[in-house]
Amino acid sequence: MSSLTLAIRFARRELRSGLSGFRIFLAALTLGVAAIAGVGSLGEAFLTGLSEQGRTLLGGDIRLQRLYQPATETERKFMTDYGAVSESATLRSMASAGNDPAKRTLVELRSIDAAYPLIGQAVLAPALDLKAALGCDAQGCGAVVEDALMARLGVKPGDAIRIGDSDFVVRARIVTEPDRVAGGFTLGPRVLISSEGLSRAKLITPGSLLNYSYRVAFASETTTPEQFRAALAAAFPDAVWEINDRTNAIPRVTRFVEQATMFLTLVGLTALVVAGVGAGQAVEAFLQRRRATIATLKAMGAEGHDIFLIYLLQIMAVAAVGLVLGLAMGAALPFAVEHFFGEQIPAPAHYAVYPGPLVLAAAFGTLAALGFAILPLARAREIAPAGLFRDLVAPSSRHGRWPYRIAAFAAFGSIAALSILLSPYPLFNLGFLGGSFAVLLALRLIATALRHLLTRMPRRKSQLLRLALANLTRPGTPTASIIVALGLGLTLLATVALIQASVEAQVEDQLPSRAPSFFFVDIQENQIDAFTRLVSGFPTAADFNATPMLRGRIVKLNGVPVADARIATDSRWAVDGDRAVTYSTTRPKDARVVEGPSWWPADYRGPSLVSFSRDLARGMGLKIGDTMTVNIIGRDIDLRIFNLRDIDFRTGGMNFVLMASPGVVDTAPHTFLSTVRTAPAQEEAMFAAVSKDFPNVTVVRVKEALAQVGELLAALARGIAIASLVTILAGVLVLAGAIASGHRARLYDAVVLKVLGATRGRLGIIYAIEYGLLGALAGLAALIAGTLAAWGIAYFVLDIPLVFAGRAVAFTIAGGALGTLILGLSGGFAAMAAKPAARLRNP
Amino acid sequence: MEAFVTRDPVPGATRAPSIVLEDVRLTLASAAGAVNILNGVTLAVEPGEAVALLGPSGSGKSSLLMVAAGLEAPTAGRVSVAGRSLSGLSEDALARFRREHVGIVFQSFHLVPTMTALENVAVPLELLRRPDAFARAEAALGSVGLVHRLDHYPGQLSGGEQQRVALARAIVHEPEVLFADEPTGNLDGATGAGIIELLFSLRARAHATLFLVTHEEVLATRCDRILRMKDGLIVAEERTK
Repeated sequence: MSSLTLAIRFARRELRSGLSGFRIFLAALTLGVAAIAGVGSLGEAFLTGLSEQGRTLLGGDIRLQRLYQPATETERKFMTDYGAVSESATLRSMASAGNDPAKRTLVELRSIDAAYPLIGQAVLAPALDLKAALGCDAQGCGAVVEDALMARLGVKPGDAIRIGDSDFVVRARIVTEPDRVAGGFTLGPRVLISSEGLSRAKLITPGSLLNYSYRVAFASETTTPEQFRAALAAAFPDAVWEINDRTNAIPRVTRFVEQATMFLTLVGLTALVVAGVGAGQAVEAFLQRRRATIATLKAMGAEGHDIFLIYLLQIMAVAAVGLVLGLAMGAALPFAVEHFFGEQIPAPAHYAVYPGPLVLAAAFGTLAALGFAILPLARAREIAPAGLFRDLVAPSSRHGRWPYRIAAFAAFGSIAALSILLSPYPLFNLGFLGGSFAVLLALRLIATALRHLLTRMPRRKSQLLRLALANLTRPGTPTASIIVALGLGLTLLATVALIQASVEAQVEDQLPSRAPSFFFVDIQENQIDAFTRLVSGFPTAADFNATPMLRGRIVKLNGVPVADARIATDSRWAVDGDRAVTYSTTRPKDARVVEGPSWWPADYRGPSLVSFSRDLARGMGLKIGDTMTVNIIGRDIDLRIFNLRDIDFRTGGMNFVLMASPGVVDTAPHTFLSTVRTAPAQEEAMFAAVSKDFPNVTVVRVKEALAQVGELLAALARGIAIASLVTILAGVLVLAGAIASGHRARLYDAVVLKVLGATRGRLGIIYAIEYGLLGALAGLAALIAGTLAAWGIAYFVLDIPLVFAGRAVAFTIAGGALGTLILGLSGGFAAMAAKPAARLRNP
Repeated sequence: MEAFVTRDPVPGATRAPSIVLEDVRLTLASAAGAVNILNGVTLAVEPGEAVALLGPSGSGKSSLLMVAAGLEAPTAGRVSVAGRSLSGLSEDALARFRREHVGIVFQSFHLVPTMTALENVAVPLELLRRPDAFARAEAALGSVGLVHRLDHYPGQLSGGEQQRVALARAIVHEPEVLFADEPTGNLDGATGAGIIELLFSLRARAHATLFLVTHEEVLATRCDRILRMKDGLIVAEERTK
């Protein structure tokens, strides 16, 4: 009979007595595995949905987009050779109803042709045919609009709204715009009009920010997007298009899902590790209860490895139950989300069971169970049979033998390695895990220091306080472990609360003092003087600024196409789309030149120069004197870097990464962008005056845009807080485990104290002090660690000052104390209620 | 105090002694400092001999038994049991030695609570990888009169029955040396007497050496020799037969 067969036989015998001692272990592992499996499955459901429905989401097999310029006849011919083509144009504009200036709002206008939609169906209420709804007649053209616009302007189907120079009849409400998700971030409600309607509105002026897009549905099923791209590049080598295809219809949503999945997986992993602390404690407690059995088996002749194997098998058998439960819960999560929130989720999802994330979660769970079980098992292996004869005078080895310690380390190392290697963002994972490890280490140090402090405190006169403190500081008490485990979840909450408070303070307190009240977009060159007079003429108008604006795309760096250039990830955004470009004869007063000469001479008319962002130059490996090629309205313009600026995007004002010298850039058709700050009381008057005199000018209220950003931040903070609840739950399990494993000792203490005359109330007060203090200590430790983490993020990542929020402080400490108190008292209730006589008869 | 040592308890004996202890010392560390438990014990026990170790609480009786049974390594001195030197053996080598040569009966029975009586008795044979472990265990339980309790768990047995299971477990693999630590300490008089009868008859049947720790004079007189301990030393020896 092999050692394994023997171990299996003995393990089975022991497991016959049930899993009662393993409840916390089981719960901890199930929670951690369920969190990872659930997040992974849900992420996979969204990614699969996005990939499967790419064609529908995009509205075709491929989409080409370009600012300013519609497709040329030859380009259009090229597209129609591949299949059906639909053209649409989008721009931001203003819509108004009647003469009330308050009833004017920013809209996301989209014109569509008769071929739209190539794929899917536009649904309207009332159920009209889209083409018919947008048709033009003597009264004007039709428009279909989103609910939000009707509410904002107080209009209903049949009413007229004015956009640009034309009136439109609202014919229906948009229920479904099939390719809406792929449309991107929007500031206003959607309005759909026909191409004819757009030309009647006279919004197509030189330099207007019109984005033309073309969707192509391939006629042949064998045509691939790659073939189309290659043929397009060969036929029009100089054309600059932003191209998306059905295989990755909405890269930003795919990226968001990937990043959210990764972040939540890391939170799940943290929860698994915290839960693992509880699982480790449970294993330790279980083995403590088995000390006599282990010593007996050893006295009978069982060797150390027999003992290790017998109990490892038992623990892994229970772990297998936890894994199966966790995996089942994780696999079910997508279906639960579909059932409860399916209709509220705008992105497509394919709800199914995905083996990949389940295998990964199982691997993480198994490694965590092994990692946390090996050390207590290694200690159990060293239990001396002599323990059967006496209470141990000599303490047994606190640590197991080296090979076991290395094995435990290997298990944890494998978790980290797996998480980093399988992540699409390994550096972020490394940072998060490193940060979590640092926080864990900091919490452990703080916990040890606090415990040390309590031990050294002078002897209290109050017996209640003395007994409560003794419970927290006596040898073997899990005070430090509980502070660490509870503290990690609370740290995450405190960090989020502090970062949120700091960002809010930045937005609410600092921005308004510097930020403009309005952005005015699309001011024509022939309007700029009148516009300047009108707006600067307002009594409270300040910091008026009007700047020419074009949009261009960086296509080459020192002659190398951006696709082939080495560009740092954090600088990629600058070449991924169109960027705002301006020109100036003199240095704008808020431009902070940090490298190179101050500015080109006011009368400079030589080859085009550019003042560029220092951070982006670093990311792109550029220096002063290097050349970048920018495509503006179809024309490539070489710009030599003249100087570098520090750009502070937090000011909320105009931040052009590209500021060119006049001469070439200013010959391209362009409009002006203007900002102004005014007293809140005059905002409406200014809005009305600009609307009346310059109906083509689009007005963005900074207040509203900030409110949107604020809502987004709050939603993000809520999401992270919910995710951190899993970690807190894991911490609670650790606490519950510690309470459960100390239950017998507590019962014994309670009986002795009762025999000596302690009342239940008195015991209750002792427990309340003990657990309240424990929770407050965990909260305090979390606050210190959370403040450090938040400071690190604020200082190094966000570059904003950390604001210490009283609310976050109070919530973290009070929350920790209250939660622990409730849980502790519920655990101590049995001890308080214990009848001494019964316990003394049957100890 | 001058130690009374038994250097040659059976003059003229030709067989090698079953248990030999030479100047055995045991010191344990504790939070309060080092505690000297055994202070230089020397003794020899012949094969088949029954030796009783008598002495007050704290005199070192149980510690001496642990050292002799290979459950505890001495701080100094040499220990040899069943012709094998235990000096320098690793923890696992000591375990292998115990399962092959030694049977132990504890005062607190120390049955594995999650195993039935039959499984408890089979443990030493299973550890020896004996294929007939359960058949022999059943026979051993029959020899202590518990054939009707095979599938009972320790919690379902009386104290006397538990100790009988422990006895069966101690002799089932036919050890050369049987160690018993206060085997009646947790039992009432009548039950204890029954256990002692069983212990001696089984030991006689197996021709095993018996090393019995007790504080009962009457029980000690049933052995061939009585050793008296005090302060970690054997201070007197008397032959009963």
